[in-house]
Amino acid sequence: MPTTPVIDVDRLNLSYGDFHAVKDLSFQVERGEFYALLGTNGAGKTSTLEVVEGHRTATSGAVRVFGHSPRDRRAVRPRMGIMLQESGFSADLTVRESVHLIGKLTQRGDTVARVLDVVDLTRKADTLVAQLSGGEKRRLDFATAVWGTPELVFLDEPTTGLDIQSRDDLWAAVDKLREDGSTIVLTTHYLEEAQQRADRVGLMHRGAFHMEGTVSELTRTLPAVIRFALPAAGPALPALPLPATREGDGKHRVETARLQEDLHVLLDWARTHAVRLDDIEAGPTRLDDVFRAIGND
Amino acid sequence: MLAIARSELIQIFRNRLVLVTMFLIPAGASAFFIYKRDAFASLGLGYIAVSGLFAVLAMGLYATSVTTLAARRQTLFLKRLSSTAVSNAGILTGLLLPVVALALFQAAVILTALAVVSTRPDNIGLLVLAVLAAAAMLLALGLATAGLTNSPEHAQVTTLPVILGVIGVATWVGTTGTEELTLLKRLLPGGAAAELVGNAWNGGVPVADSLILLAPTLGWVVVAVAVASRVFGWEPRR
Repeated sequence: MPTTPVIDVDRLNLSYGDFHAVKDLSFQVERGEFYALLGTNGAGKTSTLEVVEGHRTATSGAVRVFGHSPRDRRAVRPRMGIMLQESGFSADLTVRESVHLIGKLTQRGDTVARVLDVVDLTRKADTLVAQLSGGEKRRLDFATAVWGTPELVFLDEPTTGLDIQSRDDLWAAVDKLREDGSTIVLTTHYLEEAQQRADRVGLMHRGAFHMEGTVSELTRTLPAVIRFALPAAGPALPALPLPATREGDGKHRVETARLQEDLHVLLDWARTHAVRLDDIEAGPTRLDDVFRAIGND
Repeated sequence: MLAIARSELIQIFRNRLVLVTMFLIPAGASAFFIYKRDAFASLGLGYIAVSGLFAVLAMGLYATSVTTLAARRQTLFLKRLSSTAVSNAGILTGLLLPVVALALFQAAVILTALAVVSTRPDNIGLLVLAVLAAAAMLLALGLATAGLTNSPEHAQVTTLPVILGVIGVATWVGTTGTEELTLLKRLLPGGAAAELVGNAWNGGVPVADSLILLAPTLGWVVVAVAVASRVFGWEPRR
């Protein structure tokens, strides 16, 4: 028997006056899935997320979360945690008071001590929010989002402003949430984070999906790339064995759908002609490349 | 809702500026009227009660409500609260409950002090009704004004018309009565409430006639809530 998707968006449209921010967007997020909503600046991903979170009303279309309208707070909010893009805590409350307040209002059971331990803010429990650094505020935000291990967690730019250790800790906590069965919806500008973790990615551009699918489905739409530099001085070189273009930094660029085979061809050519290939890079297409391709459209 | 109210109370007591606005200014103004009550004797104690009450409600309740909501919105605290399971009405109630409770407490202290140093009000029940109606009106006006206010600093400008207007109307009604320009005075915000407070304190007017004065005040509540429902936003105004 098919299960009801945790999030079901059908032909969502959202306009601000004359500006059509989201156009006929449809997607679903299944239980336990890690879904990344990515996009260029102004693509409409935050607007989409705000409708799904229940912060904004759609101009048209249907949005269901756990089978309910996302505006039905009593039905939906106790089951979801939201990490907003900006903190939104009162400067005059302490970390402990802030977590306790928001946690209590989610109507899920948990303890301040546990969630502060998750985000390594235990030592700051009695510090006023006004005295926290930007990264600490992001961790506080995450702490309130994961209060009570919600079934659905929205993470809006979760690692912005975090140092490496804090990022690792945050992703470890997200991994733990997934082990516990939580569904994760992520927006981020750090594409490698989405590439490493997302089961599926929705890539938005100008209010609509440019592509949607698994990371490998998206990256397969572009060829893999081999980049290398050739010696600037010395005798003339024989022709390259593969079609290549020159990039801005002088490197040669080979695009290929058969990465391993063509890499062999190139290395064989270099060995045969005793040519040193400097700064060689070879790899499958990354989300970054797909992203740049959108920007070039 | 009570959790929000508790956190709001904590914030009020940690913010000296709010404390000064809420307590010292209205309390000082009222103390002045009580101290100088003989100078206003010809106007009746009802006028002193009106002055003290509207000082508390205009600054302690109305201005503080607007400032609180604008500040909570500017820092995205409103959006944070609206991402929880609590309804919008519950959030607003929680945020404003301490402000309302403190303002009503102040009003009760000031009016009680006035009664102790002079004479008791003629109809305490009617006075309570008048205070509650005036508080409801200024609270609703606060919600509407908050919808038009970008920041706590901006609130210093946006609240002035209502503060000056309500206190001015109350003073006008308190000093000149409503024998002339009756309809205008009663329809202006605070006019009917001021007359009702005066009637409750001074007596001499049938209760039924006084109760009619609730209508314009509650009418302002309806108008202000209607405006607030159109203009009040949960995210910073841009």
